[in-house]
Amino acid sequence: MHASRQPFGSSRPPQDSDEPIRLTDSDAALARLSAVQKHYLADPFIRHFVPRAHLQSARPPLINIGTYVRSESIDWLVNTWIDMSKAEGKKCQIVSLGAGSDTRFWRIAASHRIADVAKYIELDFPEITTKKAMVIRKSKDIGGMLSNITVGSGGTTLHSDVYNLLATDLRHPPSSSLSPPLLNMLDKSLPTLLLFECVLVYMTPSASSSVIQWFVDYFDDSAPLGGIVYEMFGLEDSFGKVMKNNLMMRNVELPGAEPYPTKESLLQRFLAHRFTSAQALTLREIRNAYVPRGELERISHLEMLDEIEELNLVLDHYAITWGFKGQDGDGQWTNWGLQKEATVG
Amino acid sequence: MPSDLDLQIEQLIRCEPISEEQVKRLCLKAREILIEEGNVQVVDSPVTICGDIHGQFWDLMELFKVGGPCPSTSYLFMGDFVDRGFYSVETFLLLLAYKVRYPERITLIRGNHESRQITQVYGFYDECQRKYGSANVWRYCCEVFDYLALGAIVDGTVFCVHGGLSPNLTGIDQIRAIDRKQEVPHDGPMCDLLWSDPDDIQGWGLSPRGAGFLFGGDITKAFVHNNALSLIARAHQLAMEGYKLMFERTIVTVWSAPNYCYRCGNVASILELDENLAQEYKVFQHAPADVRSIPAKRPPAEYFL
Repeated sequence: MHASRQPFGSSRPPQDSDEPIRLTDSDAALARLSAVQKHYLADPFIRHFVPRAHLQSARPPLINIGTYVRSESIDWLVNTWIDMSKAEGKKCQIVSLGAGSDTRFWRIAASHRIADVAKYIELDFPEITTKKAMVIRKSKDIGGMLSNITVGSGGTTLHSDVYNLLATDLRHPPSSSLSPPLLNMLDKSLPTLLLFECVLVYMTPSASSSVIQWFVDYFDDSAPLGGIVYEMFGLEDSFGKVMKNNLMMRNVELPGAEPYPTKESLLQRFLAHRFTSAQALTLREIRNAYVPRGELERISHLEMLDEIEELNLVLDHYAITWGFKGQDGDGQWTNWGLQKEATVG
Repeated sequence: MPSDLDLQIEQLIRCEPISEEQVKRLCLKAREILIEEGNVQVVDSPVTICGDIHGQFWDLMELFKVGGPCPSTSYLFMGDFVDRGFYSVETFLLLLAYKVRYPERITLIRGNHESRQITQVYGFYDECQRKYGSANVWRYCCEVFDYLALGAIVDGTVFCVHGGLSPNLTGIDQIRAIDRKQEVPHDGPMCDLLWSDPDDIQGWGLSPRGAGFLFGGDITKAFVHNNALSLIARAHQLAMEGYKLMFERTIVTVWSAPNYCYRCGNVASILELDENLAQEYKVFQHAPADVRSIPAKRPPAEYFL
């Protein structure tokens, strides 16, 4: 046996192996801030969640455009979910897994739709929820929109009447990662929407399956259950291989992308768990056919885009998949999904 | 004894920037040479035609390995030397030093990134600031950009341009009448030459880039026929396989930035035209990812995470 040699002679303590994954949330928040500063999106709340927001430089136009398409599409799916629940005379529940610094709750809270949301629950690593809970408590603009705030578990969780921020590690079995924190939080009979934005891709396929199956088993079969997954897929081609290598250099791995080489394969994310329907669209398809012409025209004037082939190549590798689990005769719910040239507004 | 210019080339070929004063003098000499060139520079075969480089210096070294060194091989670069990559300064200054040293063996034409406005968005301006502590080098280079030819023609029959055609230009003679010594305008024929793209449409279409036009096979074939051309060679668009022939081989896109932006996973190519204008496309990969090709503290490639 030869003597082992430290390849990188560093005296620093070993890096927490999950830190690179948690840092992906900073990327997402910076991208969102940039898209807001460049007037692609309106979001008065994001600046509260980005440290030194006024000093951050803008992301490239390609990132701003992709962030715009992602954000507007998911907003549309969430908003129509709330509206459909209301049309049935019910409030809905929204559970955002790996929510990071997402501002969606506050954007809903600033709109009329908040009246139709019974619970809005965010789950993430305790390191992330601790920071978010601190921002919420410190900022009047953010915390002032919640009622009856209490902080628990050493500052890692935050509760209020509608909004709840919970700490967990979704890679652990749901009996420990979901059942204890969500105990008595969710009404089993209400329409409930699950959001997975860039989270399952960092987990093993079996851990992801366990999380989705837990929610399927939790709710009454008569309660409409929806799910939205946004992340990269189709990483077996040359672009995908470069992406995996580049992210590996940041110590980020994408074990969750492996079962999803094609757009069609994405549907199994939901159909394998007794969901009654599922659809998927790439960000490129959404940009080309689902964003209204007027909006495309507006954003085309915000910045010069130098490389359309590159934009299409990148957007081809991200998809939004949505699935619905309901019963026969669920009338309006079968229409829940992105609509051509209507997805924004 | 090697001249100052030869020493500068030796330095640049190691990817080491030359001094601000040297840049200033190099740019002045380059302008004296470029001002004598036509809007459509006349070039003789054999020549090797290259597309976008975008500051990917070590990939340009791969290109020279595949195509042969300058001046042994005669080169024609169709613009977009700067922006996006990590080494726009070294890339552009090396090509410019070759141009001054061997003006008959290398032709540089203007791409849409050779512009004050675009370089302030896509990286060259920031890189100059970072490497020289001021915008002077950026300013000298932009003054050179204004003198670059808008196109080239090889043996009178292969028309080379960065982007493509313009609805305001039916003949190559009309290009010769443009006053090119200015910043790239937002519209008009000069803008279109640098910004337009061929597309599978009939006639003309609006460009999603916000400048230039889309032009169809009918437009391309008519231009080729009316100007007695055998081929239009252009760059400007990423081609995953390195090049893309369209419209019954009347137009080709040549793309010379492998693994574009260190993200796209594409191969690159150069087009060798021999003395009979026979085409040979040479495909090449990006430089090995050793310590030289990317700076240690490089910003990570951007993704949605």
